[in-house]
Amino acid sequence: MPKCTIDGREIEVKAGTTVIQAAEQLGIRIPRFCWHPDLPVDGNCRMCLVEIEKQAKLQIACNTQVADGMVVHTESPKAAEAHRTTLEFLLINHPIDCPVCDQAGECYLQDQYMDHGLYGSKVQLEDKVRKRKVVDLGPIMLDAERCVLCSRCIRFEREVTGTNLFEFVNRGDHVSIATFENRPITHEYAGNLADVCPVGALLSHDFRFKMRVWFLKGHESICPGCSTGCNIYVDERDGEVHRLRPRRNVDVNRSWMCDPGRTSFRQVGLETRIPGAYVKGATEFAGVPLPEAFDRVAQALREAGSASAFLATPQASNEDLFAFRELADAVGGMLDFRVGDPQLLVRQRLDNILQRRDRNPNTQGCLDQALGRDGVAAILSACAAGKVGALLLQGPELLAQAQAVEALAKVPFVAVMASHDAPGLEHAHVVLPAAVWAETEGTFTNYQRRVQRFRRAVLPAGDAQARWELAASLLERLGKPLAASSPREVFALASASVADYAGLDYRAIGPLGRQLTPAPAEADDRGTAQQAHI
Amino acid sequence: MAANVVTVNRDLKPGVLPILRGFWLIFQNFAQTLFAGKAATIQYPEEKRMVSTRYRGIHILTQREDGTPKCVACYMCATVCPAECIFIESAERPERSIEKYPTRFEIDLLRCVYCGFCVDACPEEAIIMSRENDLVGTSREELVIDRDQLMARGRIVAHGAGYRPQDHDLRRPVRIAALERLKTEHGIVPKMPELSPVPESVAPPTPLTTRKLGESEKP
Repeated sequence: MPKCTIDGREIEVKAGTTVIQAAEQLGIRIPRFCWHPDLPVDGNCRMCLVEIEKQAKLQIACNTQVADGMVVHTESPKAAEAHRTTLEFLLINHPIDCPVCDQAGECYLQDQYMDHGLYGSKVQLEDKVRKRKVVDLGPIMLDAERCVLCSRCIRFEREVTGTNLFEFVNRGDHVSIATFENRPITHEYAGNLADVCPVGALLSHDFRFKMRVWFLKGHESICPGCSTGCNIYVDERDGEVHRLRPRRNVDVNRSWMCDPGRTSFRQVGLETRIPGAYVKGATEFAGVPLPEAFDRVAQALREAGSASAFLATPQASNEDLFAFRELADAVGGMLDFRVGDPQLLVRQRLDNILQRRDRNPNTQGCLDQALGRDGVAAILSACAAGKVGALLLQGPELLAQAQAVEALAKVPFVAVMASHDAPGLEHAHVVLPAAVWAETEGTFTNYQRRVQRFRRAVLPAGDAQARWELAASLLERLGKPLAASSPREVFALASASVADYAGLDYRAIGPLGRQLTPAPAEADDRGTAQQAHI
Repeated sequence: MAANVVTVNRDLKPGVLPILRGFWLIFQNFAQTLFAGKAATIQYPEEKRMVSTRYRGIHILTQREDGTPKCVACYMCATVCPAECIFIESAERPERSIEKYPTRFEIDLLRCVYCGFCVDACPEEAIIMSRENDLVGTSREELVIDRDQLMARGRIVAHGAGYRPQDHDLRRPVRIAALERLKTEHGIVPKMPELSPVPESVAPPTPLTTRKLGESEKP
């Protein structure tokens, strides 16, 4: 274990650690463009030059391994001069169109100019080499003038997606990045190109000109798009979600996220959101106050007793599932969640990078809490036989299934917790407004059996409530109130009742999640072909 | 500072003379108002007082030659605005050399504190201020003015352009703050380009002269 000193602070690191990584561990940020923690080292931008004692020349921190007794200075006059001159070279042909550039605010050039540059430009705007601007590459907009030629995008294409779309073209001053014949980017990880680009050369078409990034507030969250459970930030301003971006978690998604996942924030502000409780009258639905809807559902459940049935949804958080299970146990009805058999898909890959076939974030949580009890087929046949007096659905999945319609028609009372107007919702008698994931706090358990926490980013639409709150209100009316009033407390109850979650609480889960033991077998979740890549 | 100090002689002996001098002054003003038409007061609002060219009145959005807004929707004004009274939405311009323009640009004139920071922060000189200071409306909504009204203001404005600092004008508060930060946090005092001479067209007129509405401003 070599020991080194960086800016007067000692640190012991694993053999093979580079200076820039050691500095990161100390919280010292060495300026960089081309180095990215999840991409191979290239060492082309020369921005991370540091002074190492007993070495005649400055060394690049990203490709110099820490040796025992090394003494590194990142801010010495020599290093600072190198940072400044390197930056000046990089900025020679930069168009400085920050006012119209979406990267402004999270741009390495801007930040590092303010930290290390601060010189007056010697190049007139008219003398700069002009390159292609506003090149539409499908999900990405390319502006070759802003590029600092760090090759992060090229390495991302080579190492992560394996598509090799980008390449440097031309020579000297005129080098620029390009795709062959301006072909658009077709893979589903294009959003990451905008993220890895340290400057405004590659920008997301979707987010283009929507909002300036310094207005956005990021909230730690988990992508609800599939069972992978990528760690993300929900970027929001004044209660409106503007984008999702990946949050680094080496054990789950590294720094990446898929494009379908990035668009999942759109469900938050859709016009089809259900803002309040609805009760079906003689012909159509009528809005009712939430307590009245609770009374009706509780009444129906009480009357049905053990002739009731409950269907949980793998879209719900562990807290929602626990409260729903408590409700089912309190009433004593049948319980299941496997509409469409997500448990068979939970560890199946959709591609070799991140996506999984199971499009629910918490199927594993349902399995861990043993919600698969009676079988969906059994519940449906009981419904068809007229043995079910009341059916409570945690999500609208079953209503959308054509084969379930006939059975549902035989049930005298169907209540559903729904966040959006969905096909088949007209079969329900009472609709309770459910909050979507970004509006609630809770935990998801991903395919690896990793419990991960997501936080509330925006307030729920209208009267919508988290599903556990809806279940808690029903439990209260049934005379068996839930001994919890916050997601934290619900999770504490859940961890006390589920053997594998024993001892877990929000503090123990932490920002990067907690891996449960035993972890599922490696073989069934990882393809062998590109295992090294993620 | 010293130039503005007025020395008052308080050693005057009490007596009739100072009182008579006071009366003489009153009579002088009375006569001038009545016969010479040199009133100190004006007939507002028919007549308006001329204010400095650095006056910070209601905003103007400047235009390009083709009548489109000069603004590129960089949100600098909305960012720096201490009253948070500027609302912008942006979109892509058809011509690719400019890329971005505001589809919505609204200023809540009742919320605005007329500090002029938006003018200072603007990198395109797209927002400037007029010398118009009478703000009248019959509802609050009416005084949230939109992009087209802000642009039209440039043509109809009676008083001409107001606060419109030049590039690198050291008097710009935003710039002063930035320079101060550079100096204290980084110990850097950047070399300033020389101030270009103030063009004659924006040279301040004699302050506090009055003129009738509709008269063209003296260059």
